Amino acid sequence: MTDVQFRNITKHYGTEVALSNFSLNINSGELVSILGPSGCGKTTALRILAGFIQPTEGNLVVGGHGILDLPAAKRGYGMVFQSYSLFPNMTTSENIEFPLKLRKVDAVTRAKRVNELLDLINMAEHARKFPHQLSGGQQQRVALARAVALEPPILLLDEPLSALDATVRDQLRDEIRSLQKRLGITTVFVTHDQQEAMAISDRVAVMRSGQVEQLGSPRDLYQNPKNSFVAGFVGISNQIKSTKIGDAWKVLGSSVSGPAEFNTGIAFIRPEDIKITPSPNGIAVIEEISFLGSFVRVFMSVDGARVIADLQISDAENLATGQQVELTIRDANPLIESMGNK
Amino acid sequence: MISVGKLARTGFWILLIGYFLLPMLAMARFAFQTIPTFLLTTENVFQGWGFGSLTVAFQDAGVIKSTILSLQLCATTIALTFFVLVPLTTYVEVSAPKLKPWLTGATVATWLVPPVALVVGVAATFRQVIPSFLTSPFTLTFFYSLWMLPFTYRAIDGQLRLIGAKNLFEAAQSVGCGPITFFFKVILPNLKSSLYISASLIFAAVLGEFTFASLLLKQTMPVYLWSFQSSQARAGFALALLVMVATALILGFAVARMRRRGLNFSATGI
Repeated sequence: MTDVQFRNITKHYGTEVALSNFSLNINSGELVSILGPSGCGKTTALRILAGFIQPTEGNLVVGGHGILDLPAAKRGYGMVFQSYSLFPNMTTSENIEFPLKLRKVDAVTRAKRVNELLDLINMAEHARKFPHQLSGGQQQRVALARAVALEPPILLLDEPLSALDATVRDQLRDEIRSLQKRLGITTVFVTHDQQEAMAISDRVAVMRSGQVEQLGSPRDLYQNPKNSFVAGFVGISNQIKSTKIGDAWKVLGSSVSGPAEFNTGIAFIRPEDIKITPSPNGIAVIEEISFLGSFVRVFMSVDGARVIADLQISDAENLATGQQVELTIRDANPLIESMGNK
Repeated sequence: MISVGKLARTGFWILLIGYFLLPMLAMARFAFQTIPTFLLTTENVFQGWGFGSLTVAFQDAGVIKSTILSLQLCATTIALTFFVLVPLTTYVEVSAPKLKPWLTGATVATWLVPPVALVVGVAATFRQVIPSFLTSPFTLTFFYSLWMLPFTYRAIDGQLRLIGAKNLFEAAQSVGCGPITFFFKVILPNLKSSLYISASLIFAAVLGEFTFASLLLKQTMPVYLWSFQSSQARAGFALALLVMVATALILGFAVARMRRRGLNFSATGI
């Protein structure tokens, strides 16, 4: 069992607080993404787990044992870095073989394992090449193979796809997920790209200012964001001024349930939850219609504010720029926050 | 019509040739041609050339002894400088980046003190504390190492930054590699080019260094040549020219080797 528990970890850099009472439990064999904007502390958390830095306070428990006293080289976790960090003086094979040599694995087993991993990452024909002779995607594959060469209990991925172009990024993302599932390694994936986190993870921890704002499955985070930060960071959200009338909240043309503590607020509505009905008396005016392949994105103006709706192609056939439309929402229980929280 | 840029470039090359090449040609003529200048004509300009003066120089026991000493000092200076600077620069780059401004300052500081002041200061101190320190000619190794710090430090530091030594150390740790193994298996092989260029620079500089050796009364090759030239002028000039050509060849070879490895001279940080 290699579950990971960050227990009230705090990390100060001088007066700056990178992590503040950071707690996160990761189950054995699970892939958890730590998602957040730059400076939120996600890399600090990963580097504490890797053993590169020590927290100011708190405890880190892996498989039931506190590991803060264990130096990085003794932890035995595989790690993949944004900058690849392959050893420039070693070929592809030698980079993958290096951890096995350090562990004094015999030559025959080493060669067998290196060949297995080269096949696994489809790099057998590049075995004798040096890092500078490989593309970014190829280098990152080699880094991944090197990280899993010793079959580590935990795999740490520090924005491994950030330096790659879009096509390679998507491909390698799927390969990482497939490899992680096949090997069953507990994996922590740090990223600032919400799409990446949603696509690859069992669960996502959204971070802000050194703390976890919300932890949940990608679907849960998207459909039930805990607050405006999560709603804004994970996917696109329309922020629509709303008022409470009686017990119900009026959001665009719909009445929905919402908090009872305040009377005016901002409702966070996903673009696909907005329904458009052509109406000469409608409150919204269509400003732009963009065809995005599998769906259509409609940009509208409502009392000077911009509202975005994503529609099926067939639903948008009768719409045109300048047309007045009525807007309703499908979500019966959207997130509504007090205006004061914005 | 010739552009101003082209004219400036041509002018630059003419000046460069006039400043460097002509004195060297004159030196070569004096050293290797036996016809005196006042008898030189267009008919005999290619006559009387030979390496007799070099033979005279190498028959002198003092030349051989001082050359061997200079070569030994090259080797000891390279060894001492690398022994101190490579681990220290690596440690600062990887584990103590806050110390970097101090180390950079310290390496430059040696050039703020003129050799005369350095030698006089050190000599005055060590004569009182360890009188034997200045008796061996290899004392010069310490002065030369200090003197070469700025160049060697920049070459090593530039290469360490180029390979991302800090990231590589973390990658090495993540696969179970300790600092000593990391130093020998990752850092040293990746510093080859900068160590090579540094060694070439140290070799060239130490082989021609005069001030420290002269002030400390050590008979290195340049110091010996100075007195040797007064009795054997042609042989002395021949030897000086040979040293100059050898130095240029060594540096040229170093640069060519780096280029073959895809490295620019500036990649060393010098």
